[in-house]
Amino acid sequence: MRTSQQKAQRGNVLICVICTILIVSLIAGNVLLNCVTRFNVASSQVRAWKEALTAAEAGGDIAYAEVRKTILDRSHAFSGWTSAGAVYTSPSPAPTFGADGLMASSTADVFYTDTNTGSPWYRLRVKGTAPVLGLKRVGMDDRMGVGTRADSLLRRIDFNYDHFTAAFGPNGNGAGKALVGVNGPQISRRVELITAPMTPFEAAIKAGGTFYGLGSAAYVDSFRSSNGAYDASVRTNPADWRYVDSQAGTVEINTSVATIMGSIYGNVYTNGGTVTKNTASISGLIDNNVPFTLAPFVMPDVSGWTFVSSPSLVTGNTTITPPAAGTAAKPSYYLLTSFATNGNLTVNPVVTAGVPQETYVAVHVTGDIGSSTGTGPTISVPAHVHLQVYFDGNFGTKAQNIINTSGYAGNLQFYGISPTDPNVQQTIDLNSGGGSIAGFAAVFYAPSANFTINGGPDIVGAIVCKNFYANGNVHWHYDRALDIQGDAVDYRVASYVEDTR
Amino acid sequence: MKLSQTSHRAAGFTLGEIMLSVAISSVVLAAALISMVSLQKSFNAVDNYFGTHMQQIRIIDYLNRDVKRGLAVTTSVDLQSITVSMPSYLIQSGDPEAVADPSTIGTPRTPTIVYTQTGAQVNYTASPMTVVYAINGSSITRTENGVVTTIASSTDQLVPKTTDVELANTEYANTSVTFNPIFTMGASTAARTGTNICSTAYLRNRRRG
Repeated sequence: MRTSQQKAQRGNVLICVICTILIVSLIAGNVLLNCVTRFNVASSQVRAWKEALTAAEAGGDIAYAEVRKTILDRSHAFSGWTSAGAVYTSPSPAPTFGADGLMASSTADVFYTDTNTGSPWYRLRVKGTAPVLGLKRVGMDDRMGVGTRADSLLRRIDFNYDHFTAAFGPNGNGAGKALVGVNGPQISRRVELITAPMTPFEAAIKAGGTFYGLGSAAYVDSFRSSNGAYDASVRTNPADWRYVDSQAGTVEINTSVATIMGSIYGNVYTNGGTVTKNTASISGLIDNNVPFTLAPFVMPDVSGWTFVSSPSLVTGNTTITPPAAGTAAKPSYYLLTSFATNGNLTVNPVVTAGVPQETYVAVHVTGDIGSSTGTGPTISVPAHVHLQVYFDGNFGTKAQNIINTSGYAGNLQFYGISPTDPNVQQTIDLNSGGGSIAGFAAVFYAPSANFTINGGPDIVGAIVCKNFYANGNVHWHYDRALDIQGDAVDYRVASYVEDTR
Repeated sequence: MKLSQTSHRAAGFTLGEIMLSVAISSVVLAAALISMVSLQKSFNAVDNYFGTHMQQIRIIDYLNRDVKRGLAVTTSVDLQSITVSMPSYLIQSGDPEAVADPSTIGTPRTPTIVYTQTGAQVNYTASPMTVVYAINGSSITRTENGVVTTIASSTDQLVPKTTDVELANTEYANTSVTFNPIFTMGASTAARTGTNICSTAYLRNRRRG
């Protein structure tokens, strides 16, 4: 009897212990479950969602770099990418990067060609993927009401299949929908970037080196040709509706060497300069901390242009009448081996049924154009002609020898191709001499050339050069409509959207 | 038999012993019970804190995603609602493209380039779409094209506050979200301040005119 009672007592203790362990285990399990849920959300899901965007933007940067190469390093642009039609696709499989195995895949295609410049706009579509670490766990929405979702609307995790491809197709346009498995839980985010060509003439004068000028009675102002012809009275009349466009005669200097004279109706930027405010001479802002980079200019890709073999040089009176009007993207292209000091080049428009057509012409001079001595060569561009002159050597003439009948600077563009030999200094010398006031309407983009001008010509246009020197009383009118003209010199990201599906 | 009866009497407890043991057990059980209740409350508070914290993160993530792709951000005077205008990337039911061709619903648009006084502009549609964040009772809603989504719901008084800052060449939105933890005495200000998380997002498509 005693033995039996003792056994019963042991059993009760065992039951009590088991019950206690059970209760403690339930509590511990509940705590652990909640902790794991929070951990999964915070450490895995939220992190992967953010890292997926990082991956997508990194892929966007890579694609953007390839787009920039189409101008700055053409022979290596989209190297290693595959192309189908007009769409470039990044190397596959997508390379992983980062400690968490992020991936990015991109496509780039030209979706628009600028009618003014012929430059392409690229659309970059990038998918960034980040693995969701840990086990396949959900439990995002437990804090929301019944039937209400939040996290799963924001952060879409692919546990077994790529939901985007299954629901919208690989390109998101509904085509090619398919169940595509994934290696493990992952989150993908997709962004679309639009890259726009950057035009070279965003300021009246842009000097990558030193700046001196203009004359003491000179001035730089601006106008917008799409609002009418230049009017000298606007810049001092704030009541005029065109006044805002008259204060954009900006001068940008990438060194601290800036000797500013004359009046500038715009901003002045230097790179570490000591320009101080003088309201009588500078109407806009002064910022002495604006560095910038001017990449060497190389001859654009001419493969799509219409080559015309004659003439091949300019000496004496030489006239070009192209066989077709062409377009900004496909001009008639002439290769000239020399442009003599006594050369007078006239480019006529194509005339159809007695009506002059908008005619696009590109000329590449592989040597010098004239010289700064003597009368200098003449370049005449009648209305309806859009002429681009590329030159490998130096350029020298008088301001009055540049004749642009339309008066629109965008119709006569000069590009100085940067010398490959760093010891060669390219020059542009517009030696008008004395008090000559005859001017021109044209733009110059020559980032490696030293630009010199004297006399007092009246100029409509813009210039990008290395060192700038002007000692005459030049009247320089920057046309704000030039900001959409000229060969692309770089690309910028103009739009960013995310496909949130 | 006599020995056995003697043995049973020796194994028993006196009334005093039983009362003492019951008293001690009661104290121990009461302590355990109080501890358990306290721990449960503490766990609930911590669990609620982190749960609400996740909602803070969700609000910030939603806002940052939309601000990044936004063209402009405006905040109400009382800082309780935010309106973001952004490119309308996808063709939706009722859009002109969808009316012309219903199969295009849900597909991405190809943007058009428009030249303005300030330069070339990328437009997906003539007018952008808007997304509005607002506090509605104890919830925070996000309204896109008339569709309302509750992105956070809490009895803990989640309060987002966004200010948009415009500089000369950029614009960004500062957002801070606070909540009042449960079990705080009298909804103290200090307790709410301690929950503040904030974020800054730049507008990638900021348009200057």
